[in-house]
Amino acid sequence: MGIGTAMKTLSLVLGLILSAPLLGGSALATDANDPEREARWQEISAYIFGDRKVEPTDSLIKIEAPKRAMDAALVPITLTMADKGNVKSVYLLIDDNPSPFAAHFTFGPAADPGELKLRVRIDAYTNVHAVVETKDGKLFQTVAFVKASGGCSAPMGVSDEEAMKGMGDMKMKFAGDAQGGGPLAATLMVRHPNFNGMQMNLTTRSVRPARYINKIIVSYGDSDVVTIDGDISIATDPVFNFSFVPAGAGPMKVVVSDTEGGHWEQSFTTTALSN
Amino acid sequence: MRFPSAIVAKGAAIVAAVAILLSSGPAGTADDVPEPEGVWTGPMHGTTPKTLKGAIVLDIAGLDALMAQRALFLDVGPADKKPADFPKDLPWLPIHRTIPGSVWLPGAGAAPLEQAREDVFYARVEELTRGDKSRPVVTFCHPDCWGSWNTAKRLVLKGYTRVHWYPDGIEGWQITHETAAVKPDSVWDAASASGTQP
Repeated sequence: MGIGTAMKTLSLVLGLILSAPLLGGSALATDANDPEREARWQEISAYIFGDRKVEPTDSLIKIEAPKRAMDAALVPITLTMADKGNVKSVYLLIDDNPSPFAAHFTFGPAADPGELKLRVRIDAYTNVHAVVETKDGKLFQTVAFVKASGGCSAPMGVSDEEAMKGMGDMKMKFAGDAQGGGPLAATLMVRHPNFNGMQMNLTTRSVRPARYINKIIVSYGDSDVVTIDGDISIATDPVFNFSFVPAGAGPMKVVVSDTEGGHWEQSFTTTALSN
Repeated sequence: MRFPSAIVAKGAAIVAAVAILLSSGPAGTADDVPEPEGVWTGPMHGTTPKTLKGAIVLDIAGLDALMAQRALFLDVGPADKKPADFPKDLPWLPIHRTIPGSVWLPGAGAAPLEQAREDVFYARVEELTRGDKSRPVVTFCHPDCWGSWNTAKRLVLKGYTRVHWYPDGIEGWQITHETAAVKPDSVWDAASASGTQP
């Protein structure tokens, strides 16, 4: 979203907020319990999980997301898993995006799967579902309603060449006590436009073909940390936060691949911790 | 909805700041896009004029008022297009939420529109209004979308007398109102699918 559009949206939103008291107390009924939205979720759930039962939970997984996103192409999501010793994998599904599957995180033995952060595109006011798969193969879901729109088709203001400059470059930040042997927090940043095949190129006025990261494999030494299967809802220049338990000297290795055969690898050592 | 006065005051300050930013912009941007003679044949996404000769430009209050008047609501927002090479094992489930009761004619605001499709568009509107050119019609899609401007313009040019354009579109509506999921209008969709699409 360009700054001009963002400002217009901002002023539109604020203008309506300011005039809202005039409308009388008509609180919006939009929520997760809307039967139409529930039917939609059942459809998505059946597509991805088949016959497997997906039970609601208030505790095993939680979603933190802005109720109203200022930039629909960059919506921050935090997932917390309370029973982190019993987490096999986590799904993030954005119900009303045309491609609802956003990401699947599969944790390995070196993971500390208590918290995940990522940034996504959201195309409409929608329910966002997070599903945790426990080690015994059970599925539990929770939901948040997020108000954002246009994140999937928001035009990118730069040329393809500009957007792809440095594609595959990675940065990693670690935080925590490296000597204590406890879990460390990692922030992985990957430079990639993650073209979703729906964005208009403002220079050529044509739709950019899709090209996005579909797999990231993170390991530490000989142990898997996390494998991320991603889709077109992951925001441009993906950033993921996760934690891991550093057993041995490492290093942490990250392997990124995209839908056009792009393949990038980089290793990081935890010795240069900033704190 | 009620908001604490502190938030309202903060909001007002931001609106004021935005207003200053917009008004200090160079000429030719934001506020003064001139109306084209006929329909706009440039890129569909972009800043639109604030006016439309022969039509009424609505804000949300005007739209609410019109709701009671049996108006025909035409949504011309585009349909999501499946990216090439989309993975076969993942769900592609586009959904279109709009103002409840609207007729969705995806892409009908495009220009130029192939003659056969334009004919289908006019025939469909005539059918939906039962030939009553004084029936109120509202066109909309998204902010910064010429499609709804063009659609309103086409109706004005065709002699419809109560044409309304709602530039804030679905995004403006959903801030204070519920949306409903709709499928494309079957007649329009059939015409679009039968090879008359540009």
